[in-house]
Amino acid sequence: MYPIIRLVNRNLTISINPAYLLWQIIFPIIYIFIAGFAYTSLIREVPFGSKELAYPAFLASGMIGFNIMNSTLVSGIIIWNDRKYGMFEQIMSGPFTRANYILSNICTIGIIGLVSASLIALIGYPVFFDSIDFSIVTVPLIVFAAITGSVLFGSLASIIATKLKSSEGFNVILNTAFLFFAFVSTAFYPAEGAPDPLKTAFYLNPLTYLVDIIRAGIFGNISEFVLVEMGILAIIATILFIIATKLLTKLDF
Amino acid sequence: MSCLTINKLSKNYGSVKAVDDITMSVKSGQVFGFLGPNGAGKSTTTKLLTTLIQPSGGSLNILGIDALKNPLKVRHKIGVVLQQPSYEPTLTVEKSLEKYGMMWNVPKNERKSRVEQLLEDFDLVDIRKKRNEDLSIGQRRRVQVAREFMHDMDLLFLDEPTVGLDPSARRKLLDYLRTKVNSGLTIFFTTHILTEAEYLCDEIAIIDKGRILAIDSPNALKNRFGKDKTIKIHLLKNYPEITKLLSGIQDSKIDFHTGISITIHSEQSEIVLMKILKILNDNSIEIDDLSAVPTNLEEIFLKMVEENVSNN
Repeated sequence: MYPIIRLVNRNLTISINPAYLLWQIIFPIIYIFIAGFAYTSLIREVPFGSKELAYPAFLASGMIGFNIMNSTLVSGIIIWNDRKYGMFEQIMSGPFTRANYILSNICTIGIIGLVSASLIALIGYPVFFDSIDFSIVTVPLIVFAAITGSVLFGSLASIIATKLKSSEGFNVILNTAFLFFAFVSTAFYPAEGAPDPLKTAFYLNPLTYLVDIIRAGIFGNISEFVLVEMGILAIIATILFIIATKLLTKLDF
Repeated sequence: MSCLTINKLSKNYGSVKAVDDITMSVKSGQVFGFLGPNGAGKSTTTKLLTTLIQPSGGSLNILGIDALKNPLKVRHKIGVVLQQPSYEPTLTVEKSLEKYGMMWNVPKNERKSRVEQLLEDFDLVDIRKKRNEDLSIGQRRRVQVAREFMHDMDLLFLDEPTVGLDPSARRKLLDYLRTKVNSGLTIFFTTHILTEAEYLCDEIAIIDKGRILAIDSPNALKNRFGKDKTIKIHLLKNYPEITKLLSGIQDSKIDFHTGISITIHSEQSEIVLMKILKILNDNSIEIDDLSAVPTNLEEIFLKMVEENVSNN
């Protein structure tokens, strides 16, 4: 077995536990089926390209992006725990390189992101069944979004984990950042109708691009703007990945 | 044959020389003790030798491999138990052993049998289902050391492995290590517990302020640096005049706290003893107990470190 696969195996073992899996299922169910239908009285339909989406369908597709982002918290937590509990040093004194360690983390969050996206797509399927517009690019777009989003947010979580020393600081910064990403985005509500400054803020947020790409894939609305969003997402993910890798490489013992 | 050759190895942090031109070699199939007070440079040296950090200068050959050029190749052949605890909090004891074996690419069947064997050898059977975060410090340390034996290695670095262990677990671990050395393993054993080093090590290096002060076998070190001998005489009764009687004898000390005891500490302790016995006899002072305290490594170590401090 390759060193990266062995480390991914280890990462998945320490990150995934029954409580985590249960939460990964319950969390979207609450959002999609309770919040989704409860808010229908306020937001009946959301314009999306040439379509009018039912709010639960809009929310379920946004939840895929949100859950991908949420899952990548694991990356920061793995690095943080490895540093805190001495495993980073232990692994680095074994048959692994730092590149192995970094790539294994990316692979881990990629897998968790993909599984998470599939899970939400499965759970949310009944609510966006009516509006779904399958095409040859649907699955590739969702996979692209899951992997790029995982790398982007996973790198961000890694950067926070390598820079902060106190667990309180780590938790506060990580949760605040991810809370900002979640609510200043189009994951839960459309940008149209929001005040202009907020609308601008939505489009400074990579999660907005992530959910736009996912929605384009699911509801078949691939415009030029979506292609631009894909490019931007890929560039931000690459930059953050390089920064995270550099910081991890420089991490001293 | 030497399995570790260090030549003028140094590590600087700014102007601080944490490791200062160390040169030494470790023979295969022995326990090499690396002794020093806190902050002497032991852990930094261990990190250099395990390729965790890069040296500022010097060369390092481990198991015939240039460790500075091929650190990964070296790490495939060594085992490392660092001073700081390392564990995965949510894994159970047996799962963490199993996963560690998997990380080292040990085949599944082999892993299973090794886990069982190590649980036995390190008295971990009763806590095999406990999560690491629920273990005591000593139990966690035992798991950490046991875990390293999940994979094969030619050279094992142990940085203060007995910290947190009770005396019985400590002795058991030292004996276990000895059996491993007898079957061909080489151990680089860092400690500041001198009785352990004396019990286990074939050769010892004493380090202070990043410099090697001496390298030799424990006995040779005693012979070289332990010429002073200590003899203790405990008197039967309280004799207040004893101070006056022994005032002319150098290298003797009288302690009134635990009855009256006279301690002779001298390179010529036998001659001093004869003089004192004569005085005691002439004054009809009765002796309760007389004992010779063997020179131990601790005294040599303290003496060398003190000398190093005063020289600096």
